[in-house]
Amino acid sequence: MIPQIVKDLFKIKKLDVSLAVFIGMIVMSVFGSVLYPVDPLYMANPPESPPSKVFPLGTDSWGRDLLALLINGIKSSLSIGVTAALIALAIGVLIGVISGFKGGLTDSSLMLVTDVVLVLPSILIMMLIAAYLKERNPFFVSVIIGITSWPWVARAVRSQMLSLKTREFVYMSRMAGLSDMRIIIEDLLPNMMSYTFMAFVLLMSGAMIAEAGLSMIGLGVTKGVSLGIILYWAQLLEAVRRGIWWWFVPPGAVLVALAASLLLMSTALDEYFSPRLKGG
Amino acid sequence: MALLEAEDVKAYYSTVQGYIRAVDGVDLSLQKGLTLGLAGESGCGKTTLMNTLMMNVKPPLHLMNGAILLDGKVISKMDRTTLKKNVWGVLVSTVPQSALNALMPTKRILDFVEDVITHHMNVSESEVLSMAKKRFEELNLPVEALYMYPHELSGGMKQRAVISISTLLNPKLLIVDEPTSALDVSTQKQVLKMLMDLRKAAIIESMVFVTHDIAVLRQIAERITIMYAGRVVELSSSEDILYSPKHPYTYNLINAVVTPEPEVRKRGLTSIPGEPPNLLDPPKGCRFHPRCTRAIGVCRSVEPPLVETGGGRLVACHLVSPGA
Amino acid sequence: MVLDVKDLKKVFTVGLLKRREIVAVNDVSFEVKTGEFLSLVGESGSGKTTTAKMVLKLLPPTSGSIMFEGKDVVGLKRLEELRWYWKQVHGIFQDPYASYSPLHKIDRILNQAFTLIGGSSSDRESMVKEALREVGLRPEDVLGKYPHELSGGQRQRIMVARCYMLRPKLILADEPISMIDASTRASVLQLFSRLREEYKTSVIFITHDLGLAYYVSDGIMIMYKGSIVEKGSPDEVMEHPQSSYTKRLREDVPLLYRKWAEF
Repeated sequence: MIPQIVKDLFKIKKLDVSLAVFIGMIVMSVFGSVLYPVDPLYMANPPESPPSKVFPLGTDSWGRDLLALLINGIKSSLSIGVTAALIALAIGVLIGVISGFKGGLTDSSLMLVTDVVLVLPSILIMMLIAAYLKERNPFFVSVIIGITSWPWVARAVRSQMLSLKTREFVYMSRMAGLSDMRIIIEDLLPNMMSYTFMAFVLLMSGAMIAEAGLSMIGLGVTKGVSLGIILYWAQLLEAVRRGIWWWFVPPGAVLVALAASLLLMSTALDEYFSPRLKGG
Repeated sequence: MALLEAEDVKAYYSTVQGYIRAVDGVDLSLQKGLTLGLAGESGCGKTTLMNTLMMNVKPPLHLMNGAILLDGKVISKMDRTTLKKNVWGVLVSTVPQSALNALMPTKRILDFVEDVITHHMNVSESEVLSMAKKRFEELNLPVEALYMYPHELSGGMKQRAVISISTLLNPKLLIVDEPTSALDVSTQKQVLKMLMDLRKAAIIESMVFVTHDIAVLRQIAERITIMYAGRVVELSSSEDILYSPKHPYTYNLINAVVTPEPEVRKRGLTSIPGEPPNLLDPPKGCRFHPRCTRAIGVCRSVEPPLVETGGGRLVACHLVSPGA
Repeated sequence: MVLDVKDLKKVFTVGLLKRREIVAVNDVSFEVKTGEFLSLVGESGSGKTTTAKMVLKLLPPTSGSIMFEGKDVVGLKRLEELRWYWKQVHGIFQDPYASYSPLHKIDRILNQAFTLIGGSSSDRESMVKEALREVGLRPEDVLGKYPHELSGGQRQRIMVARCYMLRPKLILADEPISMIDASTRASVLQLFSRLREEYKTSVIFITHDLGLAYYVSDGIMIMYKGSIVEKGSPDEVMEHPQSSYTKRLREDVPLLYRKWAEF
């Protein structure tokens, strides 16, 4: 009943571990606010108190419950990560497919655009756009991250297209008189699925870190909480120097765990798909 | 005394679904000074047999049964360390199928030569260089190639370089696996000539040549072994295999070979119905019986033993040696 | 006359700043008659596969003309025109694994043919089954399966079955039997002979195997570095070769009944 691919994937230990960590985080963020229904922004608790029975992760300088902040922060970081990754994936795949399939002038011009965006320092662009907007909601932040992180995907997808285009089964479809669109949809895209999925996982990892980066310089979401924003406040109030470890260690560790588990997952997937592709 | 002897060798691959009986009871012997061809279609076990003959056996491949004697020594009982030190490169050497990719692109040919020599002998750099030069000259290879990187050499030249590196220490037996399949015919002939020269120059004594191409074996091997589904079905001189094959599979295999000769056109090409069997669960009795047009009752239940039928011929067929 | 190729040329330009030209196919000309078996023989890099791809309209030629039954082929651009052409001129490739999309069932290879030949949905199933039987396969053994579940011989036969459905005037077969087991090759070759008997199909075999070419063709063309260096009947080419390349080829091919002198 369980498809063979799922069974095979689970034979790779790396996948078990990373998936467990990642899903653990998701579950915590989704159910956390139900099991621990504390308003993260409520400021009247005793400030800067270390972890205790009442406040499992302590409080920050404004008396806010850090565990509540963390739970909401994970939710926020994850959703921005997914949205940004989807935006980048959509742009990258679209450009990569058109460029690889059409070739010629279309290919050269699209790749020129890609290279330009690749070379532009994304942090600066993000900062410029972010600073210009007065109100930054999570969707905007996702868009900002998404439109600067697609170039490598476009290049990679284009390479896949170029190699797939000359595979014999594509010739067979062409000789059967299938239109270009049908060939792309039926033959080319499905055979790139494995790569696209891996790209998505990597993009998500990068997006969450980019969001944290933006937030730490004060250019994250203007309202609401995210892991990066918790770190921003910690840094603002000099938590490191003052030894308020319960403020910055948990969000930092969670961020690292999320990004690392995604990276590990993508290597496990790569391991699974590559020998297969080589016909091994 | 034979240089190489294999007695009832069984080598299986262990998998989740059971044992793949890749080599299932093979007897073989090779005299000094001869080239033995090992032929058969894909999946017959010839590559596994080749690895087993030099005891290059590690999981999931296991030597389940049998003994292998090389130059009188029972190598099937040795552990890997002893094999690495005293057997591989020294007594027996191999040129595997993927030899063209075996050379790391960041080392020059001379570096590979050095690696092989210094692994077994304690000699100075200048001695290594002179050994290498001498060997290359002996084999008609340009000495300049020693200083080149693998990508600078053509396919044929790379193959010849790999062969000379594997035989640097004059192993008595050389085992090669499809060394020329990826080469064009003219380069193939050059490489084959080099292999023959190795024997003429007494660099090696005997050779086992694994391939599916029987025409090549006709040119360079004195004796040919035909394998099917993990067993040897016939072993004779190359003339006997061509002009009077005794096993039905050999007969069909020869008639499936196509060369640009009028004899081939006259006899026509034949094919064998069906597919080679699954080695997880081979047929009972003679493994070829489901596809054999001349199978009789006993073929379906009793596995025919490999029997000597005179004149150095060995055949495993009930039709040839009834009640053996 | 089925196919008339004149001065076909393909030049690849490599490099961005320092452009280099590679002439893969150099003024190749040949003709194919109805029901004729021709072989285009050459080693890798000779340009034979590139020539085939141009005839199959999978690659545009740099210059030269290709005429099919008197009509110009190079200029065909619209999808309906291409479909008309591919119904009459079709290709089979050497790697029976790479010729199938690994994610689709093999049925797709056959069903695709209906884009070219139409056929009401009630007829389709029987047409597919009929074609499979023609090539010696039992429909229930192969339909619904994925490529990796079948052997190389079966996959290659299914390719020929597709041709039985199309009944093209000309097939270009690129190394159609080199990747199948020796014991099944003859039966796949026979399938081509039957297509010729029943539908007068011509076949151009593209191969490096001089033995195959000698055995199966009415005419052999030998290609070397992009040009045809020898043309003639199999006996002419083997007994009275004109070019030095052919002579060398003939000497270097390993034979069964004759041994090399110097060995």
